[in-house]
Formats: sequence, C-alpha cells, structure tokens
Amino acid sequence: MRLRERLLPWWFAGPALLWLLLFFAIPLVNQLSVSLMSGNSEVGYDLTWSFSVYGDAISTYGDQFVRSVLYAGAATLIDLVIAFPLAYFIAYKAGRWRPFWLLMVVMPFFVSQVMRTASWKLMINDDGPIVSVLRDVGLLGTDGRLDATAGAVILGIAYNFLPFMVLPLYAALERIDRRLIEAATDLHASHFTAFRKVTVPLAIPGVFAGSLLVFIPATGDFINAAILGSPNNLMIGNVVQSKFLTVLDYPTAAALSFLLMTAILILIAIFGRLLGTRTLTEAAS
Amino acid sequence: MAERPDRARLERALEDALLRERSSRRRFLGRGASAAFLASGLASVLSACGIEGTASISPEELAREARAVRHPKERIGDWTFSNWPLYMDKSVIKDFDRRHGGRCRYVEEINDNNEFFGKVRRQLESGRPIGRDIVVLTDYMSAKWVRAGYASPIDKRNVPNARNLVENLRSIPYDEDRSYTLPFQSGAVGLGYNVKETGRELRSLKEFFNPEWKGRVTMLSEAYDSAGAVLMMQGKYPTTAKLDDVLDAIERIGEQRSKGQFRKFTGNDYTTDLAKGNVAVSLVYSGDMVQLQSDNPDVRFVYAEEGSMLFTDNLMEPAHVEHPYAAEAMMDFLYEPEVAAKLCAYINYLSPVDGIREILERSDPEIAANELIFPPDEVRSKLHPYPSLTVAEEQAMYAEMSAVTGA
Repeated sequence: MRLRERLLPWWFAGPALLWLLLFFAIPLVNQLSVSLMSGNSEVGYDLTWSFSVYGDAISTYGDQFVRSVLYAGAATLIDLVIAFPLAYFIAYKAGRWRPFWLLMVVMPFFVSQVMRTASWKLMINDDGPIVSVLRDVGLLGTDGRLDATAGAVILGIAYNFLPFMVLPLYAALERIDRRLIEAATDLHASHFTAFRKVTVPLAIPGVFAGSLLVFIPATGDFINAAILGSPNNLMIGNVVQSKFLTVLDYPTAAALSFLLMTAILILIAIFGRLLGTRTLTEAAS
Repeated sequence: MAERPDRARLERALEDALLRERSSRRRFLGRGASAAFLASGLASVLSACGIEGTASISPEELAREARAVRHPKERIGDWTFSNWPLYMDKSVIKDFDRRHGGRCRYVEEINDNNEFFGKVRRQLESGRPIGRDIVVLTDYMSAKWVRAGYASPIDKRNVPNARNLVENLRSIPYDEDRSYTLPFQSGAVGLGYNVKETGRELRSLKEFFNPEWKGRVTMLSEAYDSAGAVLMMQGKYPTTAKLDDVLDAIERIGEQRSKGQFRKFTGNDYTTDLAKGNVAVSLVYSGDMVQLQSDNPDVRFVYAEEGSMLFTDNLMEPAHVEHPYAAEAMMDFLYEPEVAAKLCAYINYLSPVDGIREILERSDPEIAANELIFPPDEVRSKLHPYPSLTVAEEQAMYAEMSAVTGA
C-alpha cells in the first residue's frame, strides 16, 4: 500500500509529464541540436557542434534582442499602469457589473490578433484623426508620424496583451480579505495608507503573474513589429521567422530562439528576486 | 447491491496486479535502466542525422522521367486543387465539375511560397503523396520543386490545349519544354505611387532611391522582386544576373535603408499604406493595382521605363500525385481560351493563354483595353523573368536580404 501511495501522484501527473516530455523536453533537445548544425539548404544540415553560431547570432542580432526586451518591458509597464486601476475598479467598485466588465476586457480576443493590429494601423495612419490631433497639440512635428515607429509597436503590444495583465491582477485583488483593509482603517490608517500598505503588497502576486504573462509572449512577438514597425523596429521574433521560413537557416533560427529563452529566464529570475522569492510560488497558487 | 463489493474487490485485485507487475519490472530494470533509456532517446533525437538538403536531380534524369510519364484516362472522383486566395473564379471550378464529373476540392491555402513548402516539405522528402493534386507555385519555388524531384511530370496527351500557351512562356530555364509546369497566371512588379502625395507622375525605378520621398517608400521583402528592380535601375539585365550582381543590388538597398529611405519592406500589405497616403512610392504587383486603382483614383501604376520583373505562378502536380488525370483535365480546361478569358476578367492578372483578348473585346471591352492586363508590345518586351539561382545561391540572397530588411 505504501508503494501505491507513493505512485499515486505520478499517476495524476503522468499525462502532464508525458505532454511536457513529448512537446517540450524532446523538441528543446532537438532545437539545441539543430542550433549546433552547419550546412546550407542545398546539401542539408549536419550536426557539427559548431558553437560559433551563438556568438554570431548575438553580434549580428544584438540590436533586435535589446529592442525586444525594451519594447516588451515598456509594454508591460504601460499595461501595469492601465490595468491596476481597471482591475481595482472591477474588483471593488463594479458590483454586479463585474462579469460585464470582465467580458469587456476579454472581448477583443474574439477578433484575431492580426486583425486587431491591422486596425491599429488604420487608426494611426498619417492623415488619420489621432495623428492630426497629436500634431495640433505639438506632440508630433508637422511631419511627424506614429505609423512605423517604436511607439506604435509598443502601443500595439500593450494593447494586444492588456487582458493578460488585467485578469491576474483582478484575481489577486478580488481575493484580498476585506477585513484586513477594515482593520487598517480601524487602526487609523488613511484610505491611501491602507491601500499602500495592505492592498498593494497583497496584489504583488497578481502583478508578478500579469507581468510574466505579458512580458514573455511580448518579447517573442513578431506581428506588432511586422505590421506597425519600420525596418528599424523589428524584433527578435521577426528575425526567427525570417530565418526559419525564408532564409531556411535553421541553425541560426534555433540558436536565436534558445538565446531568447535563456534571456527571458534570467530576466524573470531577477524580477522574481526584486519582488521577493515567495511571490513566485504565491503567484502560481 | 450484492455485486458491488465484488466489483470493488476485483478492481483492487486488478490494480494490485498492475502495480506488482510495474514494481517487479522496476526492480529488474532499476533506475539505471530508465536513465539509459532516456539517454538513448536523447541520443537518437540528437543524431537524427541532420536536416536533409534540397539536392538536385540531373536534367537528364528529369527528362527521362518526363518522357516515360503515362497518366491513362480514368473516371474523376474527389480530388484537390490548392491555390492562393482570391486567385480563381469559383464558377470555373463548378463548370469543370459539371463537365467532367467528380468533385474538385478547391483549397485557398497557399499564402506564401516558402511557408507552403515548409508545410509539405517532410512528406515530399520522404516520398509520400501530399494529398494535393494541383499546387500553384511561383517560378523560383517551381524551380526548386522540379530540380529536387518534388514535381510529377505532366502527361501532355491529356492537355492538348497547352498549345495555346503564349510564345514567350513556352520555355523557362528550369523546365525547358514545360514537362513539369504550366503557367497559371503572370504578374508584373512595377512602380506604384499615390499621385496626391507625389504631386507628379513618375516613370523611373530611380524614384525608389530619390531622397524626395525619404521615409515614404516601400519595397517588397521578396528579394527576387526588390533586387530585380535595382538591377534594372543599374541598367543590368536581371534574368541573367549572377549572384554577385544580385548581392550588390541588395547592398544598394541596404545603403538606402540606413539613410531612412524606406518606411517598410512588405508583402502584399503595401496596399493600405499606398491608398491611405502613408507612403508615396511602392514596389507593387500589377494584379493588386487593378483593384486598388478602381477604389482610389489617386493610386497609379506604371511599368517603369527601365523594365519590370515578370513572375509566373505555375500549375504543378506534386510528386506521387494521386489523381493525375483529374489534375491534367483541369489544366486542359484552364487552357481553353473561353475559360481563360472568364478567369482573366475575374482576377485581372496576365493570362498565359493565347487568343483571349479577342474574346474579351466582345464580352468585356474595358478589361481588354486595360494596359495592366494586356500590356502594349513595347512594355511586353521589357518584362523580365526571375534569374535562375541554385538553392545555395538563393539562400545567400535571402540571407543578405534579411540582413538588409532588419530581420
């Protein structure tokens, strides 16, 4: 019976583990081996353990790496600033309208991402209303533009990933025990102090989860840069796509994906440290 | 009620047996064995003998295969025709089904030559049918398929109408007597501009590098098209260009790009920018422009005075094609002048079928008079097919282009 008890969790975890093995671990090893191959699309690619591809990839595509992290970071920050008040409002002030507001947040997901991004392009075109207002108030020069700029790409990413920030924040805020806030105000904390000392710290797991859900896919995103950016705004996702589908340079594509994954893991580890290590597990629970 | 404990006991016994079996096997194999198993799995993944290349078959071998091909007439059942979106008058398919019986599954699934190739590559490499009987691919991809043996020869006995093929397309370097490919439609890559933004009419490819339009120019991310335009600008003949010429042309594009000349490198998506006036000058496909011009009269298309790249999309049967007779009957049908005329009036590209202009003059004089669809002779003589590059050369070209376009 003891053996059976010991095995039971494995039976439960089995399907997920098998899934991870088949669709993550094995492809990852495969990807690693592809990245160490050399050749061309005529003679094919063979495993030659050529690690130089990693150095070349970093030196050639350093700009796109830095850009991906900066754009994704900026978009994450923008989403946090927009999503926190929104999630707070839905959790505390919306009352019976909560489901409605939550539906509104997810609503854009019913339209394909390409369509949503292409609509942004229409809104920010040079003769459109947004650009002409920005020109009138002097935020853009008379010849300034929004389309095909870094700003457009960042806004596009922020818009496309906003729900991923709102939902975990809402979940974290909604779960906070109201009595804690009451207790704080009973002990003569002002509403703002109670918010700062009680609500915000308890919402940190939501901030962490939301930031991960936005930052990770945003770093690898290529649709926004492809549609809203200029050749100087392309991100690492665009490079991987072109290496893989057009140039057919599989080793470089694989190496770039691997580097991207490693970079994200490191950044997340740092971010997790900053927010306190416990939040990692709390965010998951 | 009585049988329930029994079943519970049975289940428990079964479970115990399974667990015993598992644990005893575990004892035999032990942890070391499972680690070894895992390691051997990894090793086999690692040594998956690399990724196969697209090596070429000799022209003699291809010619011999083409001579030997025999696709006897048979009853047509369900078969599949894969094409690009918005590239067919669907009533043509219905007419075909009505005349020949069977059912043509017409699929608009090809959005990009390289992407489609990526999708079916594994099956082609391992010699399995890809489940499509006709595919439509652009010249450079057709060349790759023919040379690698991924295309099946066409039994011309089933396509007597192929004699209607226009003179200038009857031979192409990668398929000299059209044994493997038949042109479906052609299009020209020309100069598109928004006259409201430029304030004047344009004629020359040099406008792409003209500082007057800085930041308001798009070129195509397809290297064959953009490099071809630059080669013509330099006075070179693009069809016979060597790799070095092509790479040099791409380098020129790179110089301009670093000066901020280009807003974007695009696929077909330049249409929005051009119509909205975000950009003034674009490298464009003639077929797109017929429609765009009718929506927005400010948008203009010219065959540049230096010449235009001509691309042809080809009807092909993939290797190990399952319904070759149906595919060939369709090819024959599409080469009937009446059918080709109907198709041309609908999709507005350059038709490879002779004798359709006369038909359209009667049925649709506006189309027959459109110079985008029926270019005048002095334009026609300056339409240049893509250069013929080897697989490795093509890869070098794309690598250079991708560095220049920023991805």
